[in-house]
Amino acid sequence: MNAVLVAATSTVAVPSTFDGVAESLTVVILLSEFAMLRAPLSRSQIRLYSFQSLVVSILAAYIAAAKGLPDLYAIAALSLSLKAVVVPVVVLRLLRDARVELVASNRASVTSMTLMAIALAVFAIFVIGGLPVHSSSLPTTAFGLSAAVVLVSFVLVALRSDVVSQAVGFFSLENGVSVASLVVASGLPLIVEVAFFFDLLVAVVVFGVLMRVHHNRTDTLSTEALDQLKG
Amino acid sequence: MAVGPVLSEPVIQVFQDLTIVVFAPGVSGAIAKIEARFQGRRGPRVAQPYYNLAKLFRKETLVPEDASWVFLAAPVAAFACYLTVPLLIPVLTNFGLPLGYMGDILGGGFILALAGFSIAIAAAETNAPYAQLGSSRAMTFSALIEPTILFVTFAVALITATDLPYAEAAANRTSLAAVLRPAHLLAAVAFFLVVLNDTGRIPVETHSGTLEFGMIDEARTLEHSGPALALLQWGSNMKQLILYVILINVFIAPWGLSGSRALGSVALAIVVFLAKALAVGFVFTLIDNSFSKLRLFKITEFMAGAFLLAVLAVLVLFVGG
Repeated sequence: MNAVLVAATSTVAVPSTFDGVAESLTVVILLSEFAMLRAPLSRSQIRLYSFQSLVVSILAAYIAAAKGLPDLYAIAALSLSLKAVVVPVVVLRLLRDARVELVASNRASVTSMTLMAIALAVFAIFVIGGLPVHSSSLPTTAFGLSAAVVLVSFVLVALRSDVVSQAVGFFSLENGVSVASLVVASGLPLIVEVAFFFDLLVAVVVFGVLMRVHHNRTDTLSTEALDQLKG
Repeated sequence: MAVGPVLSEPVIQVFQDLTIVVFAPGVSGAIAKIEARFQGRRGPRVAQPYYNLAKLFRKETLVPEDASWVFLAAPVAAFACYLTVPLLIPVLTNFGLPLGYMGDILGGGFILALAGFSIAIAAAETNAPYAQLGSSRAMTFSALIEPTILFVTFAVALITATDLPYAEAAANRTSLAAVLRPAHLLAAVAFFLVVLNDTGRIPVETHSGTLEFGMIDEARTLEHSGPALALLQWGSNMKQLILYVILINVFIAPWGLSGSRALGSVALAIVVFLAKALAVGFVFTLIDNSFSKLRLFKITEFMAGAFLLAVLAVLVLFVGG
């Protein structure tokens, strides 16, 4: 009877311990994206973004340690200091000035947003995960998962109508892209990776200005106020 | 460890059932004690559930005027279901027992659902508003959590090529990589949330609350009394311990089970299992004390979250996770 058990186990080959841990970390990144989708407070969205960035830098450091790629330590350190600390602190400070707590409105209920995002994640995991991309550093599963992060962050930007969600959605989209770049090209020249970070910093400045101006004009952070024409 | 006489497999199977029947109220009592300590109360004795059962068995049974024989048969049927499930799951041994292959995880799930169904029917019969409210809510939410259970089962099926809880436990014991693979972690966490829901814990239900409007599972038994109520309470303790068995011995910690049929090793397995159940109960009380109960119409969000985890577990399996 127990011989049957042993023979029957593992239809899907068990990934190695390294792959398993790396994939689980990527799954945590995807799950925090889903959590941002349902977070009722702008503040908690930003904290989730900070947590997500922390996991991205842990992932980078883990690959660096396991695969002996010292470049990735620099990326992990940069991502930790910028994305997990500086950007959230700046956005939280902007938010404190705006004195708006709740995310303005949802165009769909949380449950239907989650289901819609699940459908998109399925699409991403199957389509992108099925591509014949083979990387020395990360399993292909992580590639599909990072594409899912990107698509779910699109849902966040499209379905939550307030400036903070759109900013956080955009920033976390960048997190998805960094994970994808870890898969595809962890040997990417450091300078290219650093260019991504400057891109992010520009985005932070732009969104900061947008938040300020929008709040000064309309007294809310909801983008729905933009539909009204001014006479 | 092979100490003591070698037991035959049917005897070990009886031991599995006895472990659940005898220790279920005790584990509930111990968890209630831990919970009380967290809240700064002294709390009831650990043996309090046994005293409650003994008291209820001595009382008379009252039946509402409109109820039929179903009202009295339901507690017995539910209790019988809870006696059947421990035969199917690895309570004490890591090798399959003779009746262990009579049903898979879905089979066990069906039997648990049958127990819930008979209690809900009995509650619907009473013509009492709160019991009927509980009955309708319990059925609604069990239907909503069902997709999660199914997807967890699919994940197990894809990992092991069978639906047997013994096989999943064996797969988890093979290597560290099998435990760390994302599919297993996601399925385990999703099942953890299912257990949270099915044992009536925060954030779904206040498990020791007395306010009828917040009740889901608890409200179903409001009209029962005497030995029937005792069977229902005992049954609900057993259901909790059964779900702990599946969570612990199949998903999160399938170690410490008896590998032989020696009496000493089986007895050790009982002790180890109770320790693991108390550890899990400790985690549940931590959650109970650090979150607030969700509003009734927000519970779907909790279920959507659990469903998300289970779906992701299956998805990553398809792409090699």
